Amino acid sequence: MIDEATRSQSESASPVELSPSARAFQLEVREWLAANAPAELKGRGLPRYRPDPKVKAALDAWTEHLAEAGYMCVAWPKEFGGRGLGGVEVALLNEEFHNAGVPRMTRGMGEGLVGPSIIAHGTPEQKARFLPRIIAGTDRYCQGFSEPNSGSDLASLSTRGVLDGDDIVVTGQKVWTSWYWDATMLFCLCRTDPSAPKHKGISYVLIPIEIDGKPNGIEFRAIKQATGDGNFAETFISGARAPQLNVIGGLNNGWRVAMTTLGNERGAGATTQYTQFDDEFKRLVEDARRLGKLDDPVIRDKLAWAFSNVEIMRYSGLLLLNSLAGGREPGAGGSASVNKIRWSEYERKLAEIALDILGPEAMVVGESYQLAPWQQTFLHTRTHTIWGGTAEIQRNIIAERVLGLPKEPNS
Amino acid sequence: MSVGLTAEREELADTIGGFLAQKAPIAEVRRLMGGAAGAERELWKRMSDQLALPATAIPEKFGGAGFGYAELAVVFEETGRRLVPSPLFATSALAVPALMASGDEEALADLLPGIARGERTATLAWVEEDGDWSAGARSTAAERGGTWHITGVKTYVIDGATADLIVVHAHTPSGPALFAVEGEAAGLERVPIPTFDQTRRLARLELSGTPARLLGTAGDGDKAVAAALDRAAVLLAAEMVGGAQACLDMSVEYAKQREQFGRPIGSFQAIKHKCAEVLVELEGARAAAYYGAWAADAAPGELPVVACVAKATASEAFFRAAAENVQIHGGIGATWEHDAHLYLKRAKTSGILLGDPVLHRRRLAALIGL
Repeated sequence: MIDEATRSQSESASPVELSPSARAFQLEVREWLAANAPAELKGRGLPRYRPDPKVKAALDAWTEHLAEAGYMCVAWPKEFGGRGLGGVEVALLNEEFHNAGVPRMTRGMGEGLVGPSIIAHGTPEQKARFLPRIIAGTDRYCQGFSEPNSGSDLASLSTRGVLDGDDIVVTGQKVWTSWYWDATMLFCLCRTDPSAPKHKGISYVLIPIEIDGKPNGIEFRAIKQATGDGNFAETFISGARAPQLNVIGGLNNGWRVAMTTLGNERGAGATTQYTQFDDEFKRLVEDARRLGKLDDPVIRDKLAWAFSNVEIMRYSGLLLLNSLAGGREPGAGGSASVNKIRWSEYERKLAEIALDILGPEAMVVGESYQLAPWQQTFLHTRTHTIWGGTAEIQRNIIAERVLGLPKEPNS
Repeated sequence: MSVGLTAEREELADTIGGFLAQKAPIAEVRRLMGGAAGAERELWKRMSDQLALPATAIPEKFGGAGFGYAELAVVFEETGRRLVPSPLFATSALAVPALMASGDEEALADLLPGIARGERTATLAWVEEDGDWSAGARSTAAERGGTWHITGVKTYVIDGATADLIVVHAHTPSGPALFAVEGEAAGLERVPIPTFDQTRRLARLELSGTPARLLGTAGDGDKAVAAALDRAAVLLAAEMVGGAQACLDMSVEYAKQREQFGRPIGSFQAIKHKCAEVLVELEGARAAAYYGAWAADAAPGELPVVACVAKATASEAFFRAAAENVQIHGGIGATWEHDAHLYLKRAKTSGILLGDPVLHRRRLAALIGL
């Protein structure tokens, strides 16, 4: 492969002009990682599935080490315990971790979703109570949004929340709850005013999974996925209690709270997102070589197509970073929906090509349905165009919010 | 030197866009494409006198403005958006990069200042009758009494009937070489070819012992042509990005206004999703074109790879945008009166020009060591 060589030629001519403070930050992180990155985690990415206990212990230790050094919730404003980093600095942070070959651990959905919602919509009391617990890792969140009958039409959800004295009592069923096995809290949308229009009667509640070590009416049942593994659960909620302090953004205002995203983390993956696809592409080339398929002009065309897609992710990331570094509004190419469609549909197609290249090898599995990596990827990538807003919903978002086309009536 | 847009490049785009909106609206494009070869010369003179477009990426020591390919890509995006028929592509994307690649300082000092001032247009003649974009030259050049003479046929030469200067790729006893041939040279017959895309003109050239000036060293011709074509591919990609953006803008505008079943057709997901998919492809092509222009300026080692990615991606994105634009417009989109067919023809033929996506992916596969 010549791409490493040709890319390194251009290192001296950087396509992005960084400010002196951004460069200083980059250097600071680089030096810290050189001194602190644990050897046993080198080459290990973030886990896709529940890690085995030994790996989990190592990851947890690394997480706490990072927390002590102030690397949790870095994009949160300083007044709430973060470091107030912008997109460019978070991108540089990710790049340094990538180059050091160790995973950048975070506080997961607490850091990326719940905290930003509290910062944007919480009362001073809520901020003081919940934010430090996320940073410290005391509260670890899983998400209770989707329901069996409310997927893309999330606002049609029917889990109920009823006030009872100082508490809110929640009953209903959620689904696709990931990382439930490590969570202590469920951030949950429930209907608190069934008579209001569907977006208006929803509340955003932080529900403890246990209260004083006793169950709080939340039961998780693992869902076995097409891969045979299980990372998601169905979540049954029967009379789970939370104090009203745990309703963020006020009663019946939950939809707005749920739609909050951490705007200043835009571009965080600008220079690192493509790298996993780059590694994956190289693995496929090696498989094609091993199977003697690199002389087939159709395979060569497909591989060159795949390489082009990885390159475009790299270029797009640099363009986005350059816009942010220059303080300019990124164009439509910086849209999160455009990015999501690009990578998710690309990787899905790549896995289809990979199984074609494997040929008959793709037809067999190991004992106990042990899948080969490409079979895993093939099945796993089918879900990427579903979670977090399906590919069809992303197209609607692009059409309506980027291109300004009219909304569907009655949506 | 950073990748993509900057405040200065956005300003440049606005200036050129504003000028072209006034001087080259679509009615003017239609008038020029129906006229004889050379009808666009007057518009070109204005683009030169008022905007100094031909000087953009020519070094200052040769009378140019000394900007880079990143700025030139902005120019092409704007002309591509409006299908402006002009000698720009042949001159600035093909001939100037070929001249520069020859490294012949003396010839550059003689030839570039007139081009930079817009007084002389130029083109590159490298394709022969088999239509192979990457074949070596079979036209031959021989030296007699201190002067080179070329014999052979070149075809699909952009603006070949009108260019003042033609850079010709020909074979010599020492290997392939580039030559400068005057448009009015003796022994040169230039025949315009009617084109499917009437906004881009082609000609067939017959050289019969035509006098020529050797550029650089005989033997380096293939290398120089390849270097020029990488730059041309990136600039053509930028031009196609402009065309694709124009198609998407037309589609969205129409989908907002046209009502069927009592509502704008743009409120139907079938139309929304087409538009969204066009945007995703277009933004990918834009990233590749911008990155390619940056590489041409700052990381030439990356350019052959990026040029392939950009040309293949932009060809597919532009065609998709142009084809969906016809579909979204319905019957009116398939008429001569509507502009959609102008973009459809430009898209398909630009995809073929310099080599189609399959050719560029074949080249890419070899470049990345597959």
